[in-house]
Amino acid sequence: MPVTNQALPGGYQLLNYRIDRQISRGGFSIVYRAFDDTGSPVAIKEYLPSSLVLRTEGDVVRASSAENLTSFRYGMKCFFEEGRALAKINHPNVVRVLNFFRANETVYMVMRYERGRTLQQQIQMRQDQMSERFVRHVFMHLLNGLREVHTHKLLHLDIKPANIYLRTDGSPVLLDFGAARQTLTNTRPKLAPMYTPGFAAPEQYRDPDRLGPWTDVYGVGASMFACLAAFAPQAADARVQEDHLVSAKKIWAGQYSDNLLEVVDWCLRLDPLERPQSVFALQKAIRDIPPKKRKLSILGNIKRVLFSEIRA
Amino acid sequence: MRFTIFQESRKGSRRINQDRIAYTYGRDTLLMVVADGMGGHAGGEIAAQICVRLFVERFQQEAKPILRNPLKFLQDTMLRAHAALGSYANQFSMLETPRTTCVAVVVQAGFAHWAHVGDSRFYLFRQGTLIGSTKDHSKVQYLVDQGIIGAHDVAQHPDRNKIFSCLGGLVDPVIDLSKRTPLRNGDVMVLCTDGLWSVLPQHEIAHWLTSQPVLKAAPAMMREAEKRGGPDGDNLSLICVRWGPETLTDEPSTTITETMGLGEFETQIDRTITLTDRKGQQRDLTDDEIERAISEIQSTIQKYRK
Ligand SMILES: Nc1ncnc2c1ncn2[C@@H]1O[C@H](COP(=O)(O)OP(=O)(O)OP(=O)(O)O)[C@@H](O)[C@H]1O
Ligand SMILES: [Mg+2]
Repeated sequence: MPVTNQALPGGYQLLNYRIDRQISRGGFSIVYRAFDDTGSPVAIKEYLPSSLVLRTEGDVVRASSAENLTSFRYGMKCFFEEGRALAKINHPNVVRVLNFFRANETVYMVMRYERGRTLQQQIQMRQDQMSERFVRHVFMHLLNGLREVHTHKLLHLDIKPANIYLRTDGSPVLLDFGAARQTLTNTRPKLAPMYTPGFAAPEQYRDPDRLGPWTDVYGVGASMFACLAAFAPQAADARVQEDHLVSAKKIWAGQYSDNLLEVVDWCLRLDPLERPQSVFALQKAIRDIPPKKRKLSILGNIKRVLFSEIRA
Repeated sequence: MRFTIFQESRKGSRRINQDRIAYTYGRDTLLMVVADGMGGHAGGEIAAQICVRLFVERFQQEAKPILRNPLKFLQDTMLRAHAALGSYANQFSMLETPRTTCVAVVVQAGFAHWAHVGDSRFYLFRQGTLIGSTKDHSKVQYLVDQGIIGAHDVAQHPDRNKIFSCLGGLVDPVIDLSKRTPLRNGDVMVLCTDGLWSVLPQHEIAHWLTSQPVLKAAPAMMREAEKRGGPDGDNLSLICVRWGPETLTDEPSTTITETMGLGEFETQIDRTITLTDRKGQQRDLTDDEIERAISEIQSTIQKYRK
């Protein structure tokens, strides 16, 4: 019978925070909503890699074996790396860390609580196509945050709609800093990250020495693709074998601007060197919206008609 | 001693960061050091790292409780770093000796002392006016001195990266030492690498740092400099100190050393992690390390709180 870790119960007093409820549970952590001593809500992430530690009752976390204790502590180092990096980032589009502490034999990261929903939920809920305006708005702001992340020498490595949070006012917040997990992959398979198929870049599977800003750029491209398609692009490891991904420019010709579609395709190139090499380069490409060529639109229409006739 | 200090190093648009920076202080003395490494592969990073560590270690050995002769300390340590880089290259039979620039400042008994090699800079501002600075050991600086080009041409000049003095390498370094310079409250000291000064002219730096609190102005300056560096911006590093109690901000940001024990040191070495360099040896964390990591994160949170 699989043993699962118990979440801290509602009402539990964790330092000066009162746990309200569990918001989410992942492979490495549980996220809770809690209230601080002034009654303001916060989100608290508890380091709890499910493959390594156990908490079948009570609050104290125990490693399930001596060997796992080493891995648990090692993984903690990565949680620290995440905290350390996030602590430096004070940016409206990156989740803000408010506190970091040790308790119950594990560690906790307190974040500003954000109201809204993930982009993933947003995609799943929508009936009709997402507007170009919305996609541009979300990603331009998100890229500002990601840029700040990169300038602090951190890669996110898990950019996907589920880790992009949309506040109720529509502004995006980048959550869940997977970068730390990367450190775990090389030696300890037990803590190996779950790459999210479709959003992870090919080098994340094969070539960890080639990770760079372009790796996150792939995740951004895949997330934009998912906004348009409502599903993820073909997984990169499969694409490397046999690439079935149809370019965004073909699929949505006429429905979104060429510029946006070209940018999506550019980000999704398999060769890291062929993608935008930095967030800055990507932002520049998105920002350079070609002026609406009214005069040329007849030509464009002709082309489109020709194209559809050829296909027909 | 009372001062407000900020340091940060960024990769800019480069793949790796070859800049290293650190400061360390005891109750009555403060050291700051910035190094900008050069050389293929890991060479530059290694050179800068060795240089900065050597400075911090020697400082903590010799400052008991203060340095007997700060200028001599600066000079000796530069020479030792130069020698250490040579023997490092020998030991690992590297084709190219790792090399680095270096600028270091010691403040004690109310006086600043600085030394430099290469084109990493030191500026001392008083009420927005430059009252002390280093002069690059570079080809373009030579051209400026000869009146061949103007000071404002330096940042864009094709030879701007050519320096004639550095630590490591075949020739002995030229080391410039400052005078013993008295400080007043409100003076601002800046150490930076060329990634910063080549995009932020000195008068702008002066303006940023005299109109706003250091902990606000300095990170903003870094962001702006990186933005200006653009898609091929160099690594950029900055250490800024406002001497005396911070008066521009209403939040406590002043470091007060009077309460420190004799022989105690506080040190910050910027750990400029290279993005690809994530394969460190796996090792268990001790309880002590956990506590230290947490307190470091907490102090970072405090520092970057708006
Ligand atoms: N600051 C926050 N405010 C509100 N909700 C949050 C916040 N942080 C996280 N959440 C919620 O918790 C969910 C999971 O968070 P996150 O992605 O950080 O962890 P995770 O995917 O479980 O991480 P891991 O993979 O490390 O276990 C998010 O999708 C979001 O719904
Ligand atoms: Mg997540």
